[in-house]
Amino acid sequence: MPKAACRFLVTLWGFICLFLICAPSVSFCADIGNCLLCHKYPGLSRVDENGKLRLLYINEAIFNTSMHAKVKCEGCHPDIQKIPHDPAKKVDCLIQCHIVEPSSEQKFSHKDVAEFLKKSVHSPLDADGKPKPFPEDFPDCKKCHDNPLYRPMSFNKMMLPGISVTALGRCRVCHKKDDFIYQFYNHVTTRLRRSRNPKNIAESCARCHDNPILMKRHNLSTKAVYSYGESFHGKAATFLDERIPDCLDCHVNPGESVHQMLGYKNPQSAVSAQNKGRICANAECHPSATPKMAEYKVHAEFNLNQSPVRYYFTVFFIALTGGTLLPLMGIIFLDCLRRLFPNTVLIQRKKKHE
Amino acid sequence: MNKTTIIMVKNGKKFFFRFSVNQRIQHLILATCVVVLVLTGMPLKFHYTFWAQYLYALFGGIHMAPIIHRMAGIVLILLFVYHIIYLIRTIWRGQIVPLKQKEGLSIVRLIRLLLDQPLMPNFKDLKDIFDLFKYLLFLTSERPQGAQFTWKEKFDYWAPFWGIVIIGASGAIMWGKEIATQWLPGEVINFALIAHSDEALLAALFLFIWHWYNVHFSTSVFPMGTAFLTGYLSEELMIEEHYEYYIEVMKQEGFENEILPPHQGGGNDNIKKKPMEEIHSASELPRIL
Repeated sequence: MPKAACRFLVTLWGFICLFLICAPSVSFCADIGNCLLCHKYPGLSRVDENGKLRLLYINEAIFNTSMHAKVKCEGCHPDIQKIPHDPAKKVDCLIQCHIVEPSSEQKFSHKDVAEFLKKSVHSPLDADGKPKPFPEDFPDCKKCHDNPLYRPMSFNKMMLPGISVTALGRCRVCHKKDDFIYQFYNHVTTRLRRSRNPKNIAESCARCHDNPILMKRHNLSTKAVYSYGESFHGKAATFLDERIPDCLDCHVNPGESVHQMLGYKNPQSAVSAQNKGRICANAECHPSATPKMAEYKVHAEFNLNQSPVRYYFTVFFIALTGGTLLPLMGIIFLDCLRRLFPNTVLIQRKKKHE
Repeated sequence: MNKTTIIMVKNGKKFFFRFSVNQRIQHLILATCVVVLVLTGMPLKFHYTFWAQYLYALFGGIHMAPIIHRMAGIVLILLFVYHIIYLIRTIWRGQIVPLKQKEGLSIVRLIRLLLDQPLMPNFKDLKDIFDLFKYLLFLTSERPQGAQFTWKEKFDYWAPFWGIVIIGASGAIMWGKEIATQWLPGEVINFALIAHSDEALLAALFLFIWHWYNVHFSTSVFPMGTAFLTGYLSEELMIEEHYEYYIEVMKQEGFENEILPPHQGGGNDNIKKKPMEEIHSASELPRIL
């Protein structure tokens, strides 16, 4: 190869490298292993040993707005060492990932969350460490969580969803990297509220708590989320009200981890008989509420066993509605029919004056 | 004070007084409030339906619609209070005071007077219901001869009357739950929700099916009854629904020679042509016109 051509190729390679380094990055996901080389293709899927179709496509744009965008793929999938790889093992959320937790400067892990979960009503083990009946029914991380997306808030004048450009401008005064600014803004403002709205949280709980089979074998009231949905709180959640209390607001003591949820029979529980008055009277909810207000049954069901009085009260209104409307609609029907044949009479009677 | 024209003759047609301006305004406020309350309340009751989101969004969604609902509720309760005062005042001034001056007031007379109010249900209503079924089942060709207010209209009046009490009280409990549960047990909110929601559904269906059918959609009045706007009812509808009262008013107003025979209704033309040709004498026409 002539020297000139060689020099040209080296220079071109240099420019390409320089371009790749300096070009503004369109994404900030941590795909150092270049996993998206394959996983960026929609439709990438396979049928596993159990005959279940598994979609393996990663939508990069969506993944980039998720809370795990900065975690390297091998952070959650450490078993994948080469490409192409063997079927990946199930993700263990308790492993140390490659993120460094800034306050401790240690590698981050969700192990603490597991400790909270162990003490909660959702632990598959009882207080003595023995397995509870049907331990497989109790949730692990992935039963409730997927890879949540950032839900940033804008604090410019009002609490609006989205990113405040004005606030970003203030960040840029000290911080230079836009990737960092976006990531930090998203993280902080998302964590000021829940990563899911009340409707999503209720839907997540409903996967188990509205499952009649699971509820029956754990001796729980059926359709807990359905009954919540019939309360004003639940209905407002359906209409995407972010301010309305969801399952976690009432079932977790304020300031505690949501993973530390206790059963309602536990005196420490937020919804125990002695504590639930305080939950309703929370400064953000009903500050002037007395403990009596907590006697309101959030999970009221049309169920004779739960409350015969409420059951028959509902039956009365159903009967009143049916008993009023059905006869009246019958009259309307007959009236319409009669108007079609105004002069028809089945029994002719002689008139008196005849 | 202007005396109300009981029978208004316009272009040769008679129109019978039904509602005063005050009553029509009350009805208009009631109707507006009910429609707004239904539109802002039903999406909550049927929150799981596809239309609920869109309908609620029209009223500003979950942040604004409940406020509009409560405002409409306040107006309706104020109207109800006003109506009670209006009723008492009208009966007091128009009937109790003259009775007091004429015959003297006693408990028995007062009770009798109240029971004789035109909107009070009575045995004639039972008879009219029985007669209506005979007519609807083709057992007779004669419609029941209704009084000033038929059993249907009394139903239309008393159903919202009861409804406003139940829905208003339960709505107030739910709105002021912190205050209500100072004295009442918290479970009262559950009962209030059931009563409010179910009674509202009954009221809405009752009004939009039964009431609207009778006053707007039946073939006699379709596409729309106008008495709630004009305060007057046509002679044709008067004969169809209030024949007994029609005869009484015609005689009272000196039109006894122009009384028309009853008809089957349904917008049939027989009333419009036949009686004018057969019953009216030429000497009576100028008086009508």
